[in-house]
Amino acid sequence: MAELKLIGFLCNWCSYAGADMAGTARMKQPGELRIIRLPCTGRVNPLLILKAFQQGADGVLVSGCHPGDCHYNEGNYYARRRLELLSRMLPAFGIEPERFHFTWVSASEGARWADVVTQFTRKIEAMGKMSGAEQGTPPAKASCEAGVGAPDEQTGSEDAVPA
Amino acid sequence: MSDIVSIIQRVLGEVDLVLGWTATGAGGVAAPDRFQTAAEAERAVFNATCVHNLAVHLPRLKDKTVGIVAKGCDSRSVAQLIQEREIDRDRVKVIGVHGLGGMIDVRKIWRLHGYGVPVDARIDSLFIDGREVDRKEYLRQKCLGCRDTVPVVHDKLFEAQGPPITGIAEAATVEAILPGTGLGASLTAAEAMSAAGEDESRPLSELFANMNPTERRLFWREQYSRCIRCYACREACPMCFCRDVCIMQTTDPHWTGAGVDAGEAEMMQLIRVNHLAGRCTGCGECERACPVGIPLMLLMNEQNQVIEDLFGYRAGTDPEARPPLLTFDIKGDSRSEK
Repeated sequence: MAELKLIGFLCNWCSYAGADMAGTARMKQPGELRIIRLPCTGRVNPLLILKAFQQGADGVLVSGCHPGDCHYNEGNYYARRRLELLSRMLPAFGIEPERFHFTWVSASEGARWADVVTQFTRKIEAMGKMSGAEQGTPPAKASCEAGVGAPDEQTGSEDAVPA
Repeated sequence: MSDIVSIIQRVLGEVDLVLGWTATGAGGVAAPDRFQTAAEAERAVFNATCVHNLAVHLPRLKDKTVGIVAKGCDSRSVAQLIQEREIDRDRVKVIGVHGLGGMIDVRKIWRLHGYGVPVDARIDSLFIDGREVDRKEYLRQKCLGCRDTVPVVHDKLFEAQGPPITGIAEAATVEAILPGTGLGASLTAAEAMSAAGEDESRPLSELFANMNPTERRLFWREQYSRCIRCYACREACPMCFCRDVCIMQTTDPHWTGAGVDAGEAEMMQLIRVNHLAGRCTGCGECERACPVGIPLMLLMNEQNQVIEDLFGYRAGTDPEARPPLLTFDIKGDSRSEK
């Protein structure tokens, strides 16, 4: 199987430090996850996650400070709402919601980080690569005739706009 | 029925112009128009082909006082624009249309009877080429489940006195497999059905609901491969008002490239869905405007439903409400904590 592409968006203050701790403590953890450091989970535009999937990621992990511990006091509260909405929308976009995971890991939880990464990687390994996920190179554009009925008629004056 | 012309003429005494409709479309269907004088307002009509959401023009007319004829669904867009401080409530006079019996999908008529056939679409009856037909069979898909028959904001009410909408949803099955818009959508629907392996009589939304994520991914890929990047979805949307700085067209940040292909089109729609989270009032103009019949409302409706489930919020129902994604609930939001 081709190598999995897993992307992790980590907050600078908690999870990135936690992952760092797991590394310096030489805890064993799988290496597929590519970590991107952000100032806060509140910075995680849901489009970052969708773009990652669209460009061929097989799984996306977001991790930040525990609720109540945000360096900016409330960034992760906003993130929690946005990411909850996103995870519920993923099936409609055609992405298995299990491929997305968001969680909280503090700077002192190196062991928890290793655990989160291991479980997430195992889960995506079990699911395999995203089928039809050659998103990086979308198929050649289907011919114009494919879906367009009578284009001249469709743009009739029904849609005329007041000048 | 009270007279739309006299109502508009009265409102013209208080505003610079009124947005409404004239019967100047193909075969006499309604087309949007603007009236600045009582004489111009003589042309105004209101019938069951007045489908357009005229609220889309309000953000571009900020320097004027504007009157607008708004159906229940359109009034939610007006309310949402007020909530977002995009328009000033004092500078807009809303002529709310009350008691509609659902609007007519003229594309459905054109598909079955030919483009430009004379249409007389009254509020309570429908004549095509002089013959009366069952109007229930030509109603717009989105009108069937209407929850907004009473305008949210209005200064004047126009009583349309149409038939009640309740109970007609089951009757309207003709062409219900299509999302109600693009003439070319039948090919798409067939593909969708082969993907879902189901029969033809079920609505696309139902087929979509029964697809698994992989099937949906392929379904969207096929749909988006028809996108010609005309941006009609964005232009028709009353909530897409950052015209000059839309990130679908900027190179910094570079969310989408300049290519016309399924991947870029998908990203465009992901951007739109995202930016309309908690803002989309479900008016359906993006889907109606799409010249290649991509069923965009499958995504928008889904998101609106999720937001209603999660936060109990419907955009454009209260101009004073706090948008759900601009706030949080420390205790209540922890339901999904792992």
